[in-house]
Amino acid sequence: MARASSASQGNSAVLGKGTRLRGRIGGDGDLRVEGSIAGEVAVKGQLVLAEGGEIVADVQAGSVVVEGALEGDITATDAVAIRASARVSGALKGSSISIEEGASVSGRIEAEFDMPPELGGKGSR
Amino acid sequence: MAGTVIAQGITIEGELTSDDDVLIQGTLRGKLVTKESVSIENGATVEADIAASSLSVGGQIRGNVTAKDRVDLMPGARLIGDVKASRLTIADGASFKGNVDMDV
Repeated sequence: MARASSASQGNSAVLGKGTRLRGRIGGDGDLRVEGSIAGEVAVKGQLVLAEGGEIVADVQAGSVVVEGALEGDITATDAVAIRASARVSGALKGSSISIEEGASVSGRIEAEFDMPPELGGKGSR
Repeated sequence: MAGTVIAQGITIEGELTSDDDVLIQGTLRGKLVTKESVSIENGATVEADIAASSLSVGGQIRGNVTAKDRVDLMPGARLIGDVKASRLTIADGASFKGNVDMDV
């Protein structure tokens, strides 16, 4: 899989395997989580929760890819991708949401899109 | 490459525990404990107590530092806090305010 290098000047943070954070992590760049986080996550770039990684926190990011275990709500301005190996419990919110076969997801799904006018919607929610 | 990288633009507040090397280019507030080495690069800001096997500092730290092996303050480093380590180097151009305990 290609490493997303969308972030400027190599702003790619990694929380490696065997690394645990209790607290808050935030910032402009991308974040890859192979370890565990309990607390709060808010990044502007792409958040990747790798297989074997664990997050118990509400998550805000530009886009989110989940391959590991996540307990908490996900709010993305862009896409949310739940991969086959993922286990997610919490609400998912993003501009588009994809869930691969094999993933376990429990929670609400909220994808932002405009309802067609004939269905009476001016927009989502 | 280090197992954990706190990149520039990333801020962590809390307690970070690791079995692996930690590289800090961004901001850390709280506490950092690792079994391996910690490297704080030029431009990084750390307000935390740190315990590691070794520590290399090119950025700014405010906090107490304990290293099993060694602490190296590189040119441009700024450390305000106490150092406990069996070996300590302070490069020309590094600034340091605090006590040193070399466990003699």
